Amino acid sequence: MMSLNNGQTLTVSGQDNRTHLEDSVVLKPSTPTRKPKPPKPENAITIAVSARVLFNMDKEQQIYEQQGMEEYIKYQVEHETQPFSPGPAFSFVKALEAVNTQLRELYPESEELFDVVLMTNNHAYVGLRLINTINHHQLFIERFCMTGGNSPIGYLKAYHTNLYLSADPIKVREALEEGIAAATMFTQEKITEVSETQLRVAFDGDAVLFSDESEQIYKAHGLDKFFEHEKAHENKPLDHGPLKGFLEALGKLQKKFYGKGQRMDCPIRTYLVTARSAASSGTRALKTLRSWGLEIDEALFLAGAPKGPMLEKIRPHIFFDDQMFHVEGAAEMGTVACHVPYGIAQRITKTGIKDRETSSETK
Amino acid sequence: RPVKCLKSGPDDGGEILEIDESHLLLKLLHRVNERLEEENPEEPLLFDVILITTDSQRQQQSSRIISSTKHYGLEISRFCFASEDDFAESLQTNNVQLFLTTDRNEASQAAQKGVLSALLDQRVAISTSDQLRVMFCEDAVIQPDSGHTPVSTERAVQSFAAQMGEMRRRFRLSDSPLSFILVTLHGGRDRCADSLLTLRSSGLSVDEAYCLAGAPRGPILRCCSLTS
Repeated sequence: MMSLNNGQTLTVSGQDNRTHLEDSVVLKPSTPTRKPKPPKPENAITIAVSARVLFNMDKEQQIYEQQGMEEYIKYQVEHETQPFSPGPAFSFVKALEAVNTQLRELYPESEELFDVVLMTNNHAYVGLRLINTINHHQLFIERFCMTGGNSPIGYLKAYHTNLYLSADPIKVREALEEGIAAATMFTQEKITEVSETQLRVAFDGDAVLFSDESEQIYKAHGLDKFFEHEKAHENKPLDHGPLKGFLEALGKLQKKFYGKGQRMDCPIRTYLVTARSAASSGTRALKTLRSWGLEIDEALFLAGAPKGPMLEKIRPHIFFDDQMFHVEGAAEMGTVACHVPYGIAQRITKTGIKDRETSSETK
Repeated sequence: RPVKCLKSGPDDGGEILEIDESHLLLKLLHRVNERLEEENPEEPLLFDVILITTDSQRQQQSSRIISSTKHYGLEISRFCFASEDDFAESLQTNNVQLFLTTDRNEASQAAQKGVLSALLDQRVAISTSDQLRVMFCEDAVIQPDSGHTPVSTERAVQSFAAQMGEMRRRFRLSDSPLSFILVTLHGGRDRCADSLLTLRSSGLSVDEAYCLAGAPRGPILRCCSLTS
């Protein structure tokens, strides 16, 4: 028996552990274990995810777009006890939790963990359905902001957010402008199975880990000038890009595993998947990472070849790229790919066709 | 009519009394009333503001108080002069639903009489928004089986929530002059879910919800109040 502070009594009944209050239901997980306390935001690596990327809300989104806000809310409340199915960020979040479990085993007192915060523009009317869904999927998310239409940017900063994932490109851009690593995620038809024990994160190089300075040269002066430039500046580190900080945060956690002898089978693995070529322009990329004191587990220089097949072999939980052409190509083959709307690529090309033309040349 | 009761502040001796940030609150309350009457000119559910003072010095300057409020254009419907001993009863007699004060003792005295009280905290950033944002903030880590809050306050909260819920429903989801926020400081998502359900069963569905689960409250609360 549980008492609410207003004197009403809730009954916890039967197998499915539902608590009933009037005719509303909060679904709780069937095996309640003692939950560990969430870490302080300044100690943790905070990943903020929006509702639409954590869960599949396509149907509801359609209702909102076609019938308006009031109908959308009505539908959500009517289906409050019906959990959403997983969205594109779901397996990534599950993998973060798997890493946390392993970190807690090795360092029980440490707060250097992933902290996943649900950061949604939704009205709190949708709150119960979201909480019920989190319970249903047994996710470890205890913090959320339901801003009822207000901008999430202030809250992202308040939580010292290390990475923000959203379906809304405008919010993602705003976050990037505020110096917060962010990427847009999309519903994918095909998602291949990924590891449940090892978190794999793949990054494009230019305009993601690195600035877009070299891409600018390539787009302005063409391929030969790009090679010349990169060779000439081989020893000059590139400027940093929007996801550098996130790679750094991952590296910090990796070192904690190395410290306990888990280097070969580290539960976190990082990949660089770049159109640069190993023969020439790749060197500058590697030297830049080294100058930053950052390691990357595997660097794949595709020399302009499509990224999809390589990513299909790697099976990362998430792949970041600044060009929609690569994002789409990866997604077609079942890799969860997200778009970092940063740098020159956003201004030059808008359509997929144009992208394909420029990317067919070796970069 | 929901009645809000404000306590008047210190006196600097001049003709017109000095005003503090609470006047912004009055302006927002007035704006909600205006919007309510726009929707329905016969609207019975409006905010009614009473100014109460227990300061005997102040009571001698009743005309100054009244003219000061007129000077600032504040919508105050009644002035109440009471003694420190019986002001809480005055609140009851006047059917006050919410008592706002900067004095902690008075707030607790009123609470003991079953009148919902809140401390006006001047450290909280004043919102630049023209929307009245009302925050329900759950502070204490409450054990499931204990009943901390007196039943009379529970009833006061429920009654207040019910009226606020009704008032909120006069407006659409967006472009409302009135918005309700739930903040759960400690405890996780299930605690927040319980609070959402409790408020909803009292008749109030909040617009925004923030579950902090122990995260530092300062930066988050600042965001809540700075929203435009």
